[in-house]
Amino acid sequence: MKWLDFETIPKVILEREPDYPPWAVSLTNTLVNRTGSWRIFRPKYFDKTPPCNDACPAHEKIQGYMELVKQKKFLEGYELIIEDNPFPSITGRVCFHPCEASCNRGEYDESLGIHNVERFLGDYGLKRAKAKKSAAHISKQIAIIGSGPAGLTCAYYLAKSGYKVIVYEHFSLPGGMLRVGIPAYRLPKDILNKEIRKLEVLGVKFKTNFTLGKDIFLDDLKQTNDAVFIATGAHKSRNLGVPEEKTRGVYSGLEFLAQINSGKRPRIGKEILVIGGGNTAVDAARSALRLGILPKILYRRTRHEMPAVAEEVQEAENEGIPIHFLVAPVKVIKSKGRITRLECQKMKLGKPDESGRRRPVPIKGSNFRIKCDSVICAIGEQIDLSVLTDDIATTGWSISADDWGRTNLPNIFAGGDCVTGPKMVVDAIAAGKRTALAIDSYFTSREIKEEPNPEITLFSNLNIGYFELAQKVTMPGLNVKERKRNFREVHLGYNELMVYKEADRCFSCGVCNKCDNCFVFCPDLAVMKSDDKYDFDYDYCKGCGVCAYECPRNAISMEEEEAR
Amino acid sequence: MKKVITGNHAVSYGAQLARSQVIAAYPITPQTQIVELLSEFCASGKLNAKFIKVESEHSAMSACIAAAATGARTFTATSSQGLALMHEMLHWAAGARLPVVLANVNRAMGPGWSVWTDQNDSLSQRDLGWLQFYCESNQEVMDTVIQAFKIGEKVLLPVMVILDAFVLSHTSEPVDIPDQELVDRFLPLPPVNLPYKLDVEDPHAFGALTSPDHYYEIRFKIQKAQDEAVQVAKEVDEEFKNILGRGYGIVEPYRCDDAKLILVTSGTITGTARIVVDSERVKGRKVGLLKIRMFRPTPIKELREILPRAQKVVVIDRNISFGHSGVFCQEIKSALYGLPVQPTIFGFIIGIGGRDVTAQDIEEIVDYASKTEKPDSIILWRGVRL
Ligand SMILES: Cc1cc2nc3c(=O)[nH]c(=O)nc-3n(C[C@H](O)[C@H](O)[C@H](O)COP(=O)(O)OP(=O)(O)OC[C@H]3O[C@@H](n4cnc5c(N)ncnc54)[C@H](O)[C@@H]3O)c2cc1C
Repeated sequence: MKWLDFETIPKVILEREPDYPPWAVSLTNTLVNRTGSWRIFRPKYFDKTPPCNDACPAHEKIQGYMELVKQKKFLEGYELIIEDNPFPSITGRVCFHPCEASCNRGEYDESLGIHNVERFLGDYGLKRAKAKKSAAHISKQIAIIGSGPAGLTCAYYLAKSGYKVIVYEHFSLPGGMLRVGIPAYRLPKDILNKEIRKLEVLGVKFKTNFTLGKDIFLDDLKQTNDAVFIATGAHKSRNLGVPEEKTRGVYSGLEFLAQINSGKRPRIGKEILVIGGGNTAVDAARSALRLGILPKILYRRTRHEMPAVAEEVQEAENEGIPIHFLVAPVKVIKSKGRITRLECQKMKLGKPDESGRRRPVPIKGSNFRIKCDSVICAIGEQIDLSVLTDDIATTGWSISADDWGRTNLPNIFAGGDCVTGPKMVVDAIAAGKRTALAIDSYFTSREIKEEPNPEITLFSNLNIGYFELAQKVTMPGLNVKERKRNFREVHLGYNELMVYKEADRCFSCGVCNKCDNCFVFCPDLAVMKSDDKYDFDYDYCKGCGVCAYECPRNAISMEEEEAR
Repeated sequence: MKKVITGNHAVSYGAQLARSQVIAAYPITPQTQIVELLSEFCASGKLNAKFIKVESEHSAMSACIAAAATGARTFTATSSQGLALMHEMLHWAAGARLPVVLANVNRAMGPGWSVWTDQNDSLSQRDLGWLQFYCESNQEVMDTVIQAFKIGEKVLLPVMVILDAFVLSHTSEPVDIPDQELVDRFLPLPPVNLPYKLDVEDPHAFGALTSPDHYYEIRFKIQKAQDEAVQVAKEVDEEFKNILGRGYGIVEPYRCDDAKLILVTSGTITGTARIVVDSERVKGRKVGLLKIRMFRPTPIKELREILPRAQKVVVIDRNISFGHSGVFCQEIKSALYGLPVQPTIFGFIIGIGGRDVTAQDIEEIVDYASKTEKPDSIILWRGVRL
C-alpha cells in the first residue's frame, strides 16, 4: 500500500523570508524619539521652605541640619545652625520652639523634637568646634548697649564680619535675662559662660558695670563709635497697683530671680504667693520650690492665656506647684510693717482685649484673703526709656525701630525686648542678627538678603505614604524628687543614638534630600542623577508628573509649558 | 546517582541541573513541592538563582518574561487554576519568543473544586505557541525539563513540561540524577543567546504597538519556529541519549509494526496501556501502542507514518473539549486527513477529574474496539456512571 507522503503535501512557499525581527522589537533604540516634545507640563526641582524654617524667627535651616544629623555630620550641623543663630546650646534649652508647633509631623504622629536636636548640636559645637579667632579688619566700631541675646547676637555677627565691637552692660556679668532671669536648672551658667567666651575669642570687648544714663551716655557713644545698637531689654517690673504694695515681704519677680541667679538665697519665709502667668512667675515659683518652699501661683486669667512657655508650666505642675486661676490681688494686709495676708478677688473671663486674650473681670463680692509670708510679684516687665536721649523716636512705651533695627537716627539701631516689649530669646536673637545685617548694609550699602522663599510646604503637600510612624525620642531628665533643693539642670539632653533617631523622623518637607524616588519612578528614564543633584532630561521628559506626585516631600513643581 | 523521588522533585532537580537563573513561582497544589525544593536549593546555594516570590501566577509569568528577556535562563511551575490565571502572560511569553520553561502538573479545573489529574488545564493552552511535552515517568519528567531548555532556546519558544497530578507528582520512583558535568555537556551554560535582549547598554523597545503591516509576519514566524521544533526536538533527544544514555522520541511506538489495533495515549495512562498491550499479545490480539510525548508541535509526520498501519486506532483522552470530543482524538483525525486509506478511529474519554484508569479499563476498551466494526458514537465515554 502506498501512502501519501507527508513531505509531498504542498506547503506555502514564500518568495523570501520576512526580514523582520522575530518579535515586536524596535531596531533602533528609543532615543530617536524625543518624547519631550509631547510635554505640556514641565517638572522642575524647586525647593520650598519647610514650615519649621519659616516659623523660626531666626529662620534656622532646620531641615538642613536634620539631614546632616541623619548623616552623623554633627559638626556641619552645628555650623549650619550658627549661620542663623549663634547660640544653639541656649535656644536648644530655653526656646519656646515655634518650629515644633508648625512641624508637619505633628499632623502625622508627633512633632519632631527639633530643639532637642538643636541642643545636642549646640553642645557638640561648644565642645568640638574650632573657636573662630578675632578677625577685626574693618575700621568701623560699634557700641552695643545691653548683653542679652539681642546684643550678643548682633555682636557675634558683626565681629565675625570683621567689625570692632564693644558691649556695655549694666550688670557685672554679660548675658541679660539669660543670666539674671532664666534659672540655672533650665540654663546652666557654664553653658552661658562658654557661649560668651566664644564671643570674646572672636574679639568682642565686654564692658560690664556700665550703665547707660549713669556711666555712659548716648551722645558720647554716638561720637566715639560709628554706630550704636541699643538692646537694653525690658527690665522694669510692673507694679501690682494695689494699696500697701510697698510693704516688706513684697518682692519683684525679677529681683528675686536675679538674687537666686547670683547665688544668693533670699529669706522669704515658708508661705509664698507668686502673682502672674508669665515666664518670670513660673521661674520664680520653681526657684522657690528649689529653696524648699512650696509656693502657690495666682493668675488672673486661665491656663489658656498664660504667656509662659507651656512646657515650663507643665513642669511646675509636675513638681507639685499649685496654680490658682482667675484670681487677682486687691490689697496687701500687713502687721508690724510686714505682709501677713493678701486679699484677692475671683475673676471671670470677659470680652477679648487688644492682645486677643479674653479680659479678666472681677466677680463682685468674691474677695477672700490668703495667709502668706511673702508675695512675689511677676506681672510683667516694662522698658526703661529714661536712659534715651530725646531725639530717639519712641512709641511711648518702647523704642521705635523697623524689622532691621533701624531707628529714626541713621547710626542708632535698636532691637530685642526694648523694641518689641517682652518676647522670647529667639526673637531677640533674630533681631540681633537682622540688625547686624542692617548695620553692615549701613556702612557698605550692601543689599540685605531677603528671607526664605515664601512658598511653604504644608502637610497636605506631602506624599505621606512614604513615611512610617515613629515615636518621638524622649529626653532623659531628673525625676521630681531629684529636683528638690538644688538647681541642677532638669533635662539632660540626647546622646548620639537618640539624636540620630530623632532627626531620622524629619520629613525634609519641601527640600530634596536625594531619596531617589523621582529617579526610580520616571517611566521615561528622564531623571539624570549625578553625585550632588538630579536633573531632568527635557528631551525625553513627557511631563507626566509621576516624579512630582511620587516625591514624598514636594520638592518638584510642575509648571505649564510655554506654547511652542 | 539514583534516588527515589517524587515527580515534583524530579522537576526541581531538572531545573537545578539545567542551571536555572531566575525562578518566579506561586504555590498551588499539587505543584507546591516543586518550588519548595527549588527555593531550598536557592537558599542553600545549591542553585545560584534569583527566587522571586510573587502574589499570583500572572505575576509569576510576568516576572519570568522580564527575566527571560534579559537572557536569563528562567523557570516556573504551576497547575490548573494557576495556569489559567497565567493565560494572558503565556501568550506574551510565546509572542515575545522567550524560552521560558514551565512545569505544569495536570490537575482538573474547578468547579467542582478538584486537585486530581486530567489534561484540560494544559490542553486549554494549546494554541498559544508554547511547546508541550506529556511525561510518563518521573525519570522522563526530569529529563524532559532539561531537554526543554535546550529545545526552547534553539527555536526561541517557551516550553511546557506536563506531569499528572499525584500519579507522578506525589508518587516516588527511582530516578537517575545525572552528574552536573554531564548535564553541562548537554546544555550550554546560560545566559541564553537571544537576538534582542533587554539590556541597558543596548536599549530597544519591546512588545510595542505593532501595526497590521508587521504583526502578520511575526505570527508567521512563530508557526515557522513550531514547524522547526519538530526536528529540533528529535535532535535534542538524540544528543541527550548520546550524552546521558536515555532517549524518548517525540512519539514512542510500542509493538506497532504488525499491529491491527493501535492504542494512542499520553501521560501516565501510557504505562498502564503498555501492560495491556503485552497481555493482549499473549491472548493473540495484535495490539500496539503509540505514546504521544510531544503534543505541540504536533508530530504529524510520525502520526501519518505509524497509525495507518493498523485498521483501528483507539485514542484514549483524559480530557474533553466541550462541544466536540477528546482533544488528542480530534488532532489525530485531523493529522490523518487526506490519506487514501483511513484507519477506523475510536475516541474514548476516561479518567476525568482523576478517576482511576486501570488495566482492566483499557482491556475492556481494546475488547470493545476489537469486536466493533465502527464506533457507536464519536465520543465513547468509558466508566461514566449514569
Ligand atoms: C524670668 C524669665 C524667664 C524667661 N524664660 C524664657 C524662656 O524660657 N524662653 C524664651 O525664649 N524667653 C524667655 N524669657 C524672655 C527672654 O529672656 C527675653 O525675651 C530676652 O532675653 C530678651 O533679650 P534682649 O537682649 O532684648 O534683652 P535682655 O535679655 O533683657 O538683655 C538686656 C540687657 O541690657 C542690660 N541693660 C538694660 N538697661 C541697661 C542700661 N541702661 N545700661 C546698660 N545695660 C543695660 C540688661 O542688664 C540686660 O543685660 C524669659 C524672661 C524672663 C524674665
